Amino acid sequence: MAPIITEPSHLVNPLASIAQLETSASQIDGVPRDLEASIRYETGRLNQAAGILLRLPQEIIAQSIVILQRFWTGPDGASMLKHDSKDVAAAALYLTAKPSGHCLTPRQLLTVFAFLDSLDGNYAEAASSKGTPTSQWSLSENDYEAQRERLYANEALILRTLGFQAHVALPYSLCINYLQTLDAFAGPDGSSLAKRAFAHLNSALLSPQRLYLTHQPCALVTASIYLAAREVGSCLPEVEWWEVFDVEREELGFLVVALRSMEGFAEEERRAWGRSRVPMTVGELRVAIADAHGWTAGE
Amino acid sequence: MSSRWADAAEDAEEDARRKAEKEGKRRLKAEKQRKAEEAQRAAAAEPQLNGHARSGEDTDRPAKRRRLSQDEAQDEPIADEPERQLLRFQPPPWQPCRSISRFDLLNHIEEGSYGFVSRAREVATGEVVAVKKLKLDPARDAGFPVTALREIQCLYAAKSHRHIVDLREVVCGEGESPGDTYLVMEFLEHDLKTLQEEMEEPFLPSEIKTLLLQLGSAVAFLHDHWILHRDLKTSNILLNNRGEIKLADFGMARFVGDPPPANLTQLVVTLWYRAPELLLGTKEYDGSIDVWSIGCIFGELLTKQPLLQGKNEVEQLSKIFELCGIPTEDSWPGFKRLRNARSLRLPPASNASQGSIIRSKFSTLTNAGAGLLNSLLSLNPTGRPTAQGILDHAYFREDPRPKPTAMFPTFPSKAGQEKRRRHASPNAPARGAAPGLQGEVDFSSIFKGREEEEKGGGFALRLV
Repeated sequence: MAPIITEPSHLVNPLASIAQLETSASQIDGVPRDLEASIRYETGRLNQAAGILLRLPQEIIAQSIVILQRFWTGPDGASMLKHDSKDVAAAALYLTAKPSGHCLTPRQLLTVFAFLDSLDGNYAEAASSKGTPTSQWSLSENDYEAQRERLYANEALILRTLGFQAHVALPYSLCINYLQTLDAFAGPDGSSLAKRAFAHLNSALLSPQRLYLTHQPCALVTASIYLAAREVGSCLPEVEWWEVFDVEREELGFLVVALRSMEGFAEEERRAWGRSRVPMTVGELRVAIADAHGWTAGE
Repeated sequence: MSSRWADAAEDAEEDARRKAEKEGKRRLKAEKQRKAEEAQRAAAAEPQLNGHARSGEDTDRPAKRRRLSQDEAQDEPIADEPERQLLRFQPPPWQPCRSISRFDLLNHIEEGSYGFVSRAREVATGEVVAVKKLKLDPARDAGFPVTALREIQCLYAAKSHRHIVDLREVVCGEGESPGDTYLVMEFLEHDLKTLQEEMEEPFLPSEIKTLLLQLGSAVAFLHDHWILHRDLKTSNILLNNRGEIKLADFGMARFVGDPPPANLTQLVVTLWYRAPELLLGTKEYDGSIDVWSIGCIFGELLTKQPLLQGKNEVEQLSKIFELCGIPTEDSWPGFKRLRNARSLRLPPASNASQGSIIRSKFSTLTNAGAGLLNSLLSLNPTGRPTAQGILDHAYFREDPRPKPTAMFPTFPSKAGQEKRRRHASPNAPARGAAPGLQGEVDFSSIFKGREEEEKGGGFALRLV
């Protein structure tokens, strides 16, 4: 029998059970599956942009996105019709930054989230160097206090919902380690290979298949290296090298397909929402669901 | 070509080399097998042959070698296709906090700045546990307290070690106070601090060794998992009635990397157990601060009294220098550049009486024991052993041997029935600005009268 590792560690994440993947509290409350996926995707993008603006390292941003996904997952998870998803996203980032060496003040965090909220989803621009918030952009004192209360409440809510399992094992250092094992940095395209692999790992955070909740970091890394090597055109061993990293061919194949589908999914999301906002509060979500029903009924 | 895996001339060479290597390995394996067989056949007659073969290249035995290649041919199909075993990961999924109503609270044990600890019984199993209710004040702590977050993280990460207290789960309140948070941990009868206060005599040397080995293994495990405890002291070391200690209270603990993060707070570790570099204001430190605390605990176990009981930072530092001597640029290069060291006025160097008095203070200790204590309490952090290094120290191999935990005496439990007495020791520092050493600090007179002191006892009875 193969050895089994059962404790979460720097290499191992708790994964979602089948029951947790089957349905979610949001779906039970009547949120359509695709709308739920859109909101998950949007809150992930929101945290990525906010993290960049707050100059947080990618590790913390990635952890917050994984925690956010765990929070929405399963019938015991939280419902998007009970909690404002953008507030929860902010709390997830606040929570993951807190025990690290990059602690945020609530004011920094809430200001950045308020700024991003004013952009109607064009986060990419804001997160690039051009669109940093200007100094005259600020949050009113009343808004700040109310939001801070909600931030604290949501932080505690996330912890309780996850049973304080806020531990996230990340794939980044493992990726470097695997690339070194494959001697990838010996060749001239080693660094472009690594960059591409990292890019896949970052996009996988936003995958509608919740790859970080269904696969261990070693599998994610192996798949991202496999795909990146194809794209960059660098050669990998002809034997089943992924087995060295404890990944089966089947899992590798599944993950490579999932990673490749990310671009199409992102395009599809952009087209579907166009200029309109993804509903990120309970109120907006109610309206969106009612609209969807009205539209189908009217047809 | 672009990568190491591209086909090129060197690759062919590499292939050939690898093939040769494989061949060699196969040969070695076959040889091993042959030797095993041979050993079975003639166990007594062959010692010199085995000794010879172990050196690897036995060029003077061509006959044996030729016979090997026949064996090899038979071995081949088995050797080439071993079953591939991939590591599987099956950590349990997460689930929401369960409710405190699954526990009956029994009696109150103690109260600290972090919360209230009680004894409780799990209704379903009847098992007795310790339940720590956290004091939560979002306005004060900016949300959920970071100390509690780190404690939970670290305890979960260190769950598997037998000398670290087992955090079973975190549960929350019910009804009107769903926000209450309780840590459910295994219950242990004693903590070393309270126990020592009740004991007539200090632990025996053999018991101290067992306690230190357990503590050392726990700290080595933590450091190995990139965790600094940062508040090691006897009141944080729990002991059950089977002589097993468990490290508890990870409120100060945190994950670190290598190199350690810059800008760590120096306001860690309860004053009496705080390393000199922290008192001098360093912001970069590593596991050696925990090792210093182990040294303080070692001294405390020997005498039943906390080793260095300063009333404030300045006094603590002067007590450390009294015991361990005055640091010099030779013994601790660079210590003068630490923030608080600038205001220090130290007695002139090159005075023979300014060395460590650990040897003479602990006169009943063996040389190895004093050597260990001396190295644990090395002023220079790099002079201290690692936690793993402690375990390998000669002190633990000499008589009296560490006492088996099963042979430990049992003690009536304070935590079991009544409230634990409030500790007289100070608490770990609160978060906030670290006060520097105030004003000019003059240590030039701390060695006054050292000459008159007795230099160690002549004889002492050694208890085993």
